Amino acid sequence: MSLPLYYYLAITAIYILMSWSIYIPYRVGQLHFMTVANMAISSYFAALMAINFAWPFWLVLIVGTLLGALIGFLVSVAIGDAPCFAVVIVGFTFIYLTKTIIENVEAFGGPLGIFSIPKVLQTSSDNRTLLLIVAYALVLLTGFLISRFDHSRLGRAASAIFIDRDLAVSFGVDVKKLGMFLQTWASAVGGMSGVMYAFIMRSISPNHFTFHLIGVCMTMLFVGGYTTLWGALLAAPILWGFPLILPEALQSWNIVIYGVLLIVVLVIKPEGIITRPTVKKIESLLSRNRKKV
Amino acid sequence: MKKILTLLMIMLLTVSFAFAGGQQESAGSTDAAVGGSEVVVDEWEIPFLNCLTGAIASIGEYLQWGAEYAAEQINAEGGIAGKPVKIVRVDTALSPEKGTVEMSKLVDDALVVMGPVPEPVIMAAVPIAADEGLYSFTATTSYEYAAEYFPWAISWFSPTDEKLPPIVTAWAEKVEAKNVVQFVENYGAWPGMAKAHVIGLEDAGVNVLEDVEVPSDAVSFGPLIVKALAQDPDAIVFACNAEKAAKIIIELRNRGWEDMNKMLVFSSADDAALYTTGGEKIDGVMIYNYNDPALDTPRWNDFRQAFKDDHDGIEPFSLSPNYYDAVYMIKRAIEDTGITGDPKKLAEERIKIRDYCNDIQNFEGLQYNWTNKGGYPADKPLFLFEIQDGQKVLVEKIIPE
Amino acid sequence: MEILIAQIFNGLSIGSIYVLLVTGFNLLLLVAMIIHFSFPVVVVFSMYISWFVMTLTGSVALGVAGGIASAVVVNVITAPMFQHIMRERGSVDINATMVISMGMGMIITDILSHTFNQGFPIAFPDALTGNDQGALISVGLVSISRGQVLTLIVGIIFVAFLFWLLYKTRAGRAFRAIAEDPNGAKLVGIPLLKTGFQSYALTGILGGVTAVLMAVLLGSASAGLGDQLGHKVLAVSIIAGLGNLTGGLIIGLLLGILEAIIQGYLAGSWSNAIAFIVMLVVILAKPKGVFGSKL
Repeated sequence: MSLPLYYYLAITAIYILMSWSIYIPYRVGQLHFMTVANMAISSYFAALMAINFAWPFWLVLIVGTLLGALIGFLVSVAIGDAPCFAVVIVGFTFIYLTKTIIENVEAFGGPLGIFSIPKVLQTSSDNRTLLLIVAYALVLLTGFLISRFDHSRLGRAASAIFIDRDLAVSFGVDVKKLGMFLQTWASAVGGMSGVMYAFIMRSISPNHFTFHLIGVCMTMLFVGGYTTLWGALLAAPILWGFPLILPEALQSWNIVIYGVLLIVVLVIKPEGIITRPTVKKIESLLSRNRKKV
Repeated sequence: MKKILTLLMIMLLTVSFAFAGGQQESAGSTDAAVGGSEVVVDEWEIPFLNCLTGAIASIGEYLQWGAEYAAEQINAEGGIAGKPVKIVRVDTALSPEKGTVEMSKLVDDALVVMGPVPEPVIMAAVPIAADEGLYSFTATTSYEYAAEYFPWAISWFSPTDEKLPPIVTAWAEKVEAKNVVQFVENYGAWPGMAKAHVIGLEDAGVNVLEDVEVPSDAVSFGPLIVKALAQDPDAIVFACNAEKAAKIIIELRNRGWEDMNKMLVFSSADDAALYTTGGEKIDGVMIYNYNDPALDTPRWNDFRQAFKDDHDGIEPFSLSPNYYDAVYMIKRAIEDTGITGDPKKLAEERIKIRDYCNDIQNFEGLQYNWTNKGGYPADKPLFLFEIQDGQKVLVEKIIPE
Repeated sequence: MEILIAQIFNGLSIGSIYVLLVTGFNLLLLVAMIIHFSFPVVVVFSMYISWFVMTLTGSVALGVAGGIASAVVVNVITAPMFQHIMRERGSVDINATMVISMGMGMIITDILSHTFNQGFPIAFPDALTGNDQGALISVGLVSISRGQVLTLIVGIIFVAFLFWLLYKTRAGRAFRAIAEDPNGAKLVGIPLLKTGFQSYALTGILGGVTAVLMAVLLGSASAGLGDQLGHKVLAVSIIAGLGNLTGGLIIGLLLGILEAIIQGYLAGSWSNAIAFIVMLVVILAKPKGVFGSKL
């Protein structure tokens, strides 16, 4: 595989995972930007453990993911059932806090960042193959779990909360427990993405994990469609890929083109490109074909 | 459900292939040739990873201008080893992720790369180049960033805590500073530069007061200024971005600060934003940097005039000469080491260029000559200026021992 | 004590910028149901237009007029686009407007960083900022400029005026009715087009005036200024209670003072983190905002 394709695909996987980490709590209407802070924390954790203590990749990946889950869980105890915008403040706070701590502690590399995170495997090409397989295995795993969740009783409960929280409560849905579960899960996905990001990029700095990243993930989620897991899966590779293949003459317009594309898609399809009816339609189309065969 | 998954995976792959296809088209135009030390390329293509879009696009454009002007001059004088040179524009914006992909597109074919430019992109992209044995001309960043990737990245500057103290000492002695407060922004290499300033101040026997930290997103500076003035300083050093430095200086003036000489701005804030924001209100402020706009040599005058002609009369950006010099350094390396551009010798020729440039002797830079040892110059001068009518007027020149 | 007083005045100064921006932000929420995350970016755009007209004509008055006019034009053009998607309120989430707003912000910031003044920060003339006249009051470390007083007073007047307009007048009720339920508003005989236009123009005027006051107070602007303020304005609105005008006024000023005190007494690089921790505590105690949401 060519090197640019590897980086394109590897980073696509990160963006898909991060967009999903926003999608998961958004199932109950919470904009949980804390996953960006989780990504930063686990990313730094991974880098420091791999460099200073030579922890193996697998251990770092597992502990980094659990670290995300743990932080997510602790926070969710307080905000499991908080309104959407209270959760936004929590996310902003953790992002600022993480960034400030990293920048002020020299052991974390300060504002310069951390360089030369070791490879998982000695040869570069083996290392890349492994990381790409792991990244997409994680995408598949997370996608599978989300799909299972969406089709479960809990998923339907989440949809009910999204549409009308009070009504859902009156039907006996435990909003807090569900919120806590989704937030913890999302933070775990954030942490997992952070570990993968550290090993893929091999150098990290506090500026990688800020509001810019929220913007990227929000646009991927909303342009793709925030009502199903397929939206981010579709939008991430396209939105992040197209500026890379833009001809040189249009390069200087890439941000404007990105912005216009975003607005046009959302004005035409305010729910994003893939909505639940779209998924149903595709499903029925596919099953009809199957019957014919 | 599985079908949809398959469908989407197919879409993902399609996009990937479309992308991979686009990349192949833009691959180098070098013709394969057999053996010999003859130059085999029709044109030297030098990719320049630069930030041409986004919030600091204007700075990127100034750097690009330097490189392209050098290419233009070289081509007018017969090219590199008889072949024309072309600077290939590669925009990474401010995105480390985009930087990795753009750099990885180059590792198979490029002889050398110039850039990348902003530090987050350097950190993401240079490791890829270093890994694949491709040499990066990181000509605008601090030594500390480039040094991480030695020998595969070159620095235009010597280590921060070696080069900065003498110039700060010279300033402190000149203005007879006694109690100095420093405004420091916690960004990239700047805290490191601030520490180097402190060494210089202490060498001059100055009492260094508590730093005032400037938040990166500060828009009004009253609180920071009160904090600084409450310590009763008689002189101030700025290690924060250009616009912020200018705004703090203006506010200090409004509050009655009189001795403008007793303010020193560091080199990283010496860009157009300082002058467009500060206007005539920063007259008298002192600033240090690595080149002298008033130098009077035919080569520099020509460069300066051309820059002004292309930029509505603005003086050259202080880092524009860096990539101009980088192109000339590449030219000298290619000609002196007999690089052919033959794709078959790519790995070996990349190393030739790397080793030549890391220890280049007496390189004829636009402003002065310098010699590299281990990937950085130790003999570059530093200049102390006073700002007058938006121009830098030379006060003192310091050459390291 | 002198330092504390000086810092409180400094805090009121940045706080009044938050107040003006959050008022515009809340107004758009109230009259058009837009979460205009990039409202500060639009305001900075108007600052640039104002500067452009001033530099071109040499007239401060024309510059001020140009800035305000540009804000009205931008708002009247873009607000209907947002409202178009909010028409299907039942199925579309309001956060989609936030993402559109982000898109707008990206475009405007990119244009500003390429075009005006070659992308470099712009500085406003003394004739506008009054910088050449020195401070209005200056005692030791305490220094208050004309711009600071003007911004604060105008901010308070604006909030009072809008409060009266939206909640005490017929026109204001019509504005809110359209935002809440366009079809219902039409049924009870509110002229949609005219009223909608008026409310967008009103928010535009507010944005324009904010731009001019920020120019007076800050004296300069750069392409990234709007982005720097964006999430703080959103945060102030959330803490106060989304759409709560009086709450925005109080929280905006308090955030300014809090930041000034952190920067003055603790470390500047910690100011965002500490300010947000305080806001986090507040929002945990009052999840719908201190003064309650008005949506």
